[in-house]
Order: sequence, then C-alpha cells, then structure tokens
Amino acid sequence: MLPLLIAIANSVYLGLRTDQFLGSENLFNLIAQAMPLVITAIGQMFVVVVGDLDLSVGSLISFTTAILALDAPGYVTIPAVFLFAVLVGLSNGLVITRLNVHPIIATLAMQYVILGITRILRPVSGGTVPDIVIQSVGGSLFGVPMPVFWGIAVVLVAWKLLHGSRFGLHLFAIGGGVANGTPDAARNFGVPDRRNILLAYVACSCFTALAGVFLAGRIVSGDPNVGLLFELDAITAVAVGGTQLSGGIGSLQGTVIGALVLALLSNGMNLTNVSPFIQTAIKGGLLLLVVGLQTRKKMGL
Amino acid sequence: MSAIVKHPFLQRLLRVPPAYYVFAILLITLWIARPHMLNANIMGIFIRQVAPLGVLVLAQLLVMRVKSIDLSGGGILLLVNYVISSGIFPGASMPFFIGLSLAIGTAIGLFNGWMIGKRRVSAVIVTLAVSIILVGFVQYLSSGKPPGDVPSYLNDIYNIKWGPAPVPVLFWFALTVVMALFLSKTVFGRYVTSVGENPEAAHFSGVPVERTVILAHTLAGFIAAVAALVQTASIAVGSVRVGLDLPILAVAATILGGVVFGRGEGGVWGPFFGVLSFALLFVVMTTFGIDDPGKLIAQGLIILLAAIFYGIRTSRSN
Repeated sequence: MLPLLIAIANSVYLGLRTDQFLGSENLFNLIAQAMPLVITAIGQMFVVVVGDLDLSVGSLISFTTAILALDAPGYVTIPAVFLFAVLVGLSNGLVITRLNVHPIIATLAMQYVILGITRILRPVSGGTVPDIVIQSVGGSLFGVPMPVFWGIAVVLVAWKLLHGSRFGLHLFAIGGGVANGTPDAARNFGVPDRRNILLAYVACSCFTALAGVFLAGRIVSGDPNVGLLFELDAITAVAVGGTQLSGGIGSLQGTVIGALVLALLSNGMNLTNVSPFIQTAIKGGLLLLVVGLQTRKKMGL
Repeated sequence: MSAIVKHPFLQRLLRVPPAYYVFAILLITLWIARPHMLNANIMGIFIRQVAPLGVLVLAQLLVMRVKSIDLSGGGILLLVNYVISSGIFPGASMPFFIGLSLAIGTAIGLFNGWMIGKRRVSAVIVTLAVSIILVGFVQYLSSGKPPGDVPSYLNDIYNIKWGPAPVPVLFWFALTVVMALFLSKTVFGRYVTSVGENPEAAHFSGVPVERTVILAHTLAGFIAAVAALVQTASIAVGSVRVGLDLPILAVAATILGGVVFGRGEGGVWGPFFGVLSFALLFVVMTTFGIDDPGKLIAQGLIILLAAIFYGIRTSRSN
C-alpha cells in the first residue's frame, strides 16, 4: 500500500508544482513512458519470485530494437524477436538449472554476449521499425491511445500466469523455500523446480522482448544503448512494489505500482529539470534504500 | 564416456583452473600468427595495460572467496580519477592524493561490507547501486565532460621501467605476492577460506562471519582505490568513461582463474593468469581484426564457459 500512497502523493505534488503535469497530453505520455518499464518489471518479477535476478534484460531490450530495425518485413522480424527471446531465456534457464551456474553470473555473461551481438547488428542508432509496430504503439483505438491496451493485455496475461495458474503457484513455492534457506523444499513436495525455474527465465525474456517491441515503436528506430541500465530500473520497480528479492513474496499489482512510481519519479524529475546524471544517482539511491529495508537470512550474493 | 571422465589423470587435468589452458592456447596462437610480437618489450607494454585490472582482480577474488561480489570498482575508479584530475585540490601533494584516494576506496568498501554483512542485502544490488550512484555523481560534477589533467608525476612513475619490466607490472606482481601470503598465512586468510566453504559451519566453529565479510569488502574497496590510482596514472588524463568495464572483466578473470563463489582452488595465481589471458586475448583479437563488440561477446562467453566448467564439476561431486 505504501508505494501506492507515494505514487499518489508524488502526482499531487507534481500537479501542484508544475502546470504541464496534469495535462492529458502529459498523462498519456506518462503511460507510454512507463509501459516499457512496467512490462520489463513484470517479466523480472517471474525470476525474482524464485529468488534469482535476470541481469540480461537491459541488453535484450536493445537487441530487440536492433532486430526490429533490420531491413526486413515485420512478419519476419516480429516472430524472430520472440524466437530469440525464448532462446535467451532457455539458455539462461538451462545453464542455471542444469549446469549449476549461479544465476547472476549466467545472466551477466548473457548480458555481455547480447550486447556484443547488438553492437555488431547496429553500431549506432538508426534504421526504421516496421509500420505495424509504430502503429500499434503510437496509434489509438476508439479514441484511447494504444499504450493503455498494451498495459491491460500485459497485466491480464501476467495475472493469469502468476496468480491464476499452477505455474505461478509453483514459482511462489520454490521462492518461499529458497528464502527460508531450504532450496529443496518445493521439490520435496513434488514441484518440478528445475522446469519451473527454466520457464520463469523464458517468461522473463518474453516480457522483456515485448517491452523492447514497445520501445522500438516509441523511438521508431533501433538503438544499441536504449536498454542500458534497464535491468536496474526493473529490479528497483519490483523491489519498490514490495516483492522480496530473496524470493517467495510479492504481487503483480505491487510490481505495476512500483514501476509507475519509478516512471512518475523520472517524469517529475524531467519536468523539474533535474540533471540526467543526478537522476541516475537518485535511482541508484532508491534501489539501495528499498533493498536495504528488506530483510533476508542469506549473506553475500 | 564416464570411464574416460573418471580417469584419475583427466580428473587431475580438470582441477587445473582454465586460466592456464587459455593462457597457453593464446600464447601458442600468437606465436604461430605473429612470432615477432613475442619479445619482452612489446609484451611488457601489453601486460602493463592490464595492470589496473590485475590489481582490481585481487579485490574481486577476495570478496568472491567469501561468496560475495563487488561490482562497485567502476564507480571507485571514476571518483578517484575525478578527485585527482579535476583540480578541486589545487597544488596538493602526491601523498595527499594517494591518502585521499585510499580513504575514499576504504570508506566505500566499508559501506558495501556493512550493507552486505550486517543488513544482509544482496551484494550484486548494493555494489551495482553504489557504482551507478558514484558514476552519476561524478558525471554530474563534471557535466559529462572529462575533467582535466592528472599531475605529471603519476604518469612519470607509471612509465619507469626496471630492466625490461615496467614498474606497474612489478607493483601488481608484488601486490599479488602479498595477497597470496595474506590469504595463506594469516588468521584472516583462514577465516576467508572457512566462510567460503560453509558460512554456517564457520559460524558454529567460532569464526566471526559477519566481521570477515565486512573486512573483506573494506579491503576490496581499498584495493579498488589502488587499482584506480594505477589506472589514473596510466591514462594520465581525467575521464568520465574509462574503466567502467573493469569490474566485469575482473569477475571474468577471477572465475577463469578458478575462484568461484566460496571456492578458492585457483588461489591467487589462477586469477593472475586469468588477467594475463585477457591481456593476450585483446592482443590476439586486435591482430585478427576483431572489434569491440567481438570483445564483449568473448568476455561474456569466457565468463559463461568458465562458470559452466565449475558448475558441472560441483554438480558431479554432489
């Protein structure tokens, strides 16, 4: 509940402080700005719930925009994007669950591999994104801008997966065991833990790719640096939303609110002309603060 | 298949950290492709370039031995570089700069250690957040532009050579020897080993686990500041970008050298050769015309493969 109050307080403050904030243009703009972070944070949450982190999401977003901006028709690039996302998720998950590599090392390595491939595909920003992507992000339906529909669709799918399916229940079960220092707890109750963790990484990558498609539609080109530090923003959003980074506890609405708080924060800082460098520092401080307030048993990583 | 894998000789080969193999392979590659590059002077220059990385690896291996990680090196590097090059302390002497840098590094390390040891916050999150706070702060202070020049005596020291060996390389070598002795001969070194093996068992045998973790991170901050001084001396100008990829390279070199979270079989010399492998790798990739993106991919794959190498072995022994 606290993040929601912060979000409301933040909006009231901004509404009083600046004239532009409450204009419908800025509000719709805000939704469009927040959407990539909301989608990425939801994806990240699947992995956080089992007590891991996926650090490869930032470069996967850049990679997605680079693929979409290739000189190829949309019916080739859009499925390709999701194919690659599934591949990335699968290899993350397989390396972690089957080859016994620590999640942070595996996804950190993956981050660099993807970043390198992205820089080869698209050394500087440019290229054009298929029209259908631009239309589906920038256009409007029945007078309501498309980002609103994106938000509703993503939240519904994620809700079904996390809170309305056996898969989600199993994720929470695995995470609860990990958080209490008994990683085998869920497996001992017959939950196929390796398979579910693997699928969590795949889900994370797919949501991230979706965020990348959305972002590509917003910037209308490919950009190798657009996803820089996105993984930290996503983790911050998840943590602000009350999901425990040690695993097992968390909710979808919290994550969405957390992402909105973060988006409001950057929107507000932009409106009040805070230097972008200071914005980075403030976001880092926020992450430190939120995670510092959570308690866990394990020390170290 | 399994009979071959279980053969004692192969088991023994598998126990050697991958860094030595990679180093040997790269040396042979270079010897075949560009034999004239293998003389002491040219190699000295290449190895001198990785001296900051080599020093930073000592910090990384210390924290990885206690099942933690330190990604804040990039931020410390930038801050130290900014303090020295921006001219906010005009006319200050060298001991002052060195003392100040070491104090900054130690303070940041202590903060990391406190957050990780006492507050039990994830080390990745803490050190990454600290790093981006410092980077944002420095870039704000310098408005995104390189600040200024570094006092020339630092670069002069960096350029001294002792016979064929450049001073930074000797300094790095000496620090590595000190670290090796420190980890093997002191009580604290034994604490580090026991905490890495099993924190709970260490706790119940009377090892001050929290204090060991905090101290390891504090020392890591101190060493990162030393690395920052070497780095600043090497580039000789202020910069707001250089060194941001060093922490991740340090992680890669450490894993390559056989030190994975809590397991220190590679000792101190494994990661040492890991750094040397990276020095050679960059030379080899440059001579074969592979650009920065290729190097990023290589870094990622090396981290992944080295980690898989150890992951498979741990799962077999369990």
